[in-house]
Amino acid sequence: MGNPALQTEAVWKVFHQEAEKVRAVRGVTLTIQPGEFVVLAGPSGSGKTTLLNLIGGLTRPTDGRVWVDGLELTRMSSRELARMRLEKLGFIFQSYNLLPVLSALENAEFPLLLRGLERGQREHRVRELFQRTGLAGLEHRRPGKLSGGQQQRVAVIRAVVGEPALVLADEPTANLDSAASDILLTVMEELNRDLGTTFLFATHDSRLMERSRRLIHLVDGQIASDQWQEPRRES
Amino acid sequence: MRFKTTVIARLALRNLRRQARRSLLTAASMIAGSALLIFSLILGDGTHEQWIDSAVRMADGHLSILSPRFRASRALKDRMPAESRAAVEQALRQGGIPGEIRAVAPRLAVTGMASSAAGARPARILGVEPAGEAAFSLLDEKLQQGRYLRPGDRLAAYVGIGLLEALDLRLGSKFVLTAQDAGGEIAGQLVRVVGTFRTGIPEADRSLLHIPLSTAGAWLGCSGDVTSLGLLLENSQQVPQARRSLQQRLSETHGTEALLALSWRESLPELDAAVKIDDFSNYLFQGILFSIIALGIVNTVLMSVMYRRREFGVLQALGLTPGQSASLVLVEGLILTVLSGTIGIALGLSVTWFLWGEGLDLSSMMDNEWTFSGVVMDPVVVPRFRVARMVQGLSFIFLIGMLASLYPALRAMRIDVAETMKFER
Ligand SMILES: Nc1ncnc2c1ncn2[C@@H]1O[C@H](COP(=O)(O)OP(=O)(O)OP(=O)(O)O)[C@@H](O)[C@H]1O
Ligand SMILES: [Mg+2]
Repeated sequence: MGNPALQTEAVWKVFHQEAEKVRAVRGVTLTIQPGEFVVLAGPSGSGKTTLLNLIGGLTRPTDGRVWVDGLELTRMSSRELARMRLEKLGFIFQSYNLLPVLSALENAEFPLLLRGLERGQREHRVRELFQRTGLAGLEHRRPGKLSGGQQQRVAVIRAVVGEPALVLADEPTANLDSAASDILLTVMEELNRDLGTTFLFATHDSRLMERSRRLIHLVDGQIASDQWQEPRRES
Repeated sequence: MRFKTTVIARLALRNLRRQARRSLLTAASMIAGSALLIFSLILGDGTHEQWIDSAVRMADGHLSILSPRFRASRALKDRMPAESRAAVEQALRQGGIPGEIRAVAPRLAVTGMASSAAGARPARILGVEPAGEAAFSLLDEKLQQGRYLRPGDRLAAYVGIGLLEALDLRLGSKFVLTAQDAGGEIAGQLVRVVGTFRTGIPEADRSLLHIPLSTAGAWLGCSGDVTSLGLLLENSQQVPQARRSLQQRLSETHGTEALLALSWRESLPELDAAVKIDDFSNYLFQGILFSIIALGIVNTVLMSVMYRRREFGVLQALGLTPGQSASLVLVEGLILTVLSGTIGIALGLSVTWFLWGEGLDLSSMMDNEWTFSGVVMDPVVVPRFRVARMVQGLSFIFLIGMLASLYPALRAMRIDVAETMKFER
């Protein structure tokens, strides 16, 4: 078997807030294999976002090590980290964060554009994903003319289009109502099942927790539990 | 890499369009500024060319050829002998000197006294060849009474109005010139007033007079010799090259005793300084103006970066390197400035061309005659269109755009991605 999609070893992140030390992540050791769909749950302030940022190379750990698809992030320059993100990671944010000046299609294919893929190759892949996620026909709309749920699905396509080793999603349903959340989750589950995309998914939403196979609870920056469960299928 | 460049250019263009109003406002100030820049450059060049043209035609030309010793002594003994003069004139006729020679003025200059029954006055006496001198000098155009010298004149003198009055002369009056001749003896020459001039330069009107070169040569015992040869070129831009090539010729033909080719910058140092000072003050003004414009650009670009902090965060999360983020901002700033700068220059050029291509009359802005180091200037300034100026203007604008975008680019580069994502709505 190849590299784990993600491996962390005793990762710490300590923020210095004025005189105070905030220990946001405290010695997290975690391995995620390719093809997993992992939900990261925990109360507000438990360190979910900080952990995802550490994994994404957006924040540097105070201590410990992180590997994405076998590459160690700790010693990378910011340039190398950017390259790693481009090739190995996908991001889905809470507030969609599509680029407003680009159409839905251009947003979705952006990572491929950055990688220098030819137009033909890009379009083929992106259009297929638009079909699959129920967005066909909306390719040329600007993000401002899409609903939140649609925007977030475009963001999901953007995250998976480059076939990254790992997709990091930080509360992607927090701004959506339950119907839109369900659709989004279904889309992500299908992508996980059909394309084998690996997801690490931080959320508050208990309904989403129930639907995952692997559920990690983070409390005060530490893993409180890491369980495998039988996901409850949507009715 | 090619793809990333096009991605960056596309994003930059779309972002500028998104903030059309702010972009347009900044662009407008840039357009106005660069139009003004090019206008003032070409008008300044036109003005300077006019200063130079008038001044060199009242003096020794764009280039003057003389012996190095005469340059220091101004004494007749250091003149250029007839053979040297002939050799130089031969070389000039042969051509091959870059630039276009409009006129050549051989002159024999000597200081002496002019005397009549009313008294004696010091005089700057210039022996000239009437035809060549009329083409070369502006003095013949300053005629008050009578006429300028003509080929074939012998005892004729063209006299400044001040000298005429001081000696109580009129047209047709005779008077006597005395000076030290080539042999060091005092020699006298009787001449007759054929014309009078008024230049407006008191010193010239009071002491200058022209007599035929042949008369001067015979009087001073050095027929055929001259003290200098003045060259008038098509314009002052041709001077450096023409001078270099001419000086090389002179060195080849005359060896160590070589004659000098002096440019107007050397023979009229105060004019040279005035042109430089005027250019400098123009540059200073433009510098201040563009500093203000640049601040506007900095503001626009920086605002757009700060306003899009989150976007830059997303871009970096997606894999744009900090360097690429910076170049995105630079490209935005450069497109904005170079585009509007080019439009401004084109606008400035065409407006100047269509409205004042033939000349811009500044007389309404001046209460008096406009004199410059004693030379009366034509109030109509003819703009000078030079490719070099446009290249200079564009490079300057490019530099301004670059400088103005540098700080915002740095800010975009240093964005803390995690930080920008924190305040989720
Ligand atoms: N840049 C920072 N400087 C100082 N403290 C920080 C910083 N970022 C996060 N923290 C602190 O670290 C802790 C973990 O924050 P984090 O955002 O990771 O939590 P979270 O689990 O994502 O919370 P939420 O569910 O509300 O998004 C919090 O106590 C927070 O105040
Ligand atoms: Mg969070």
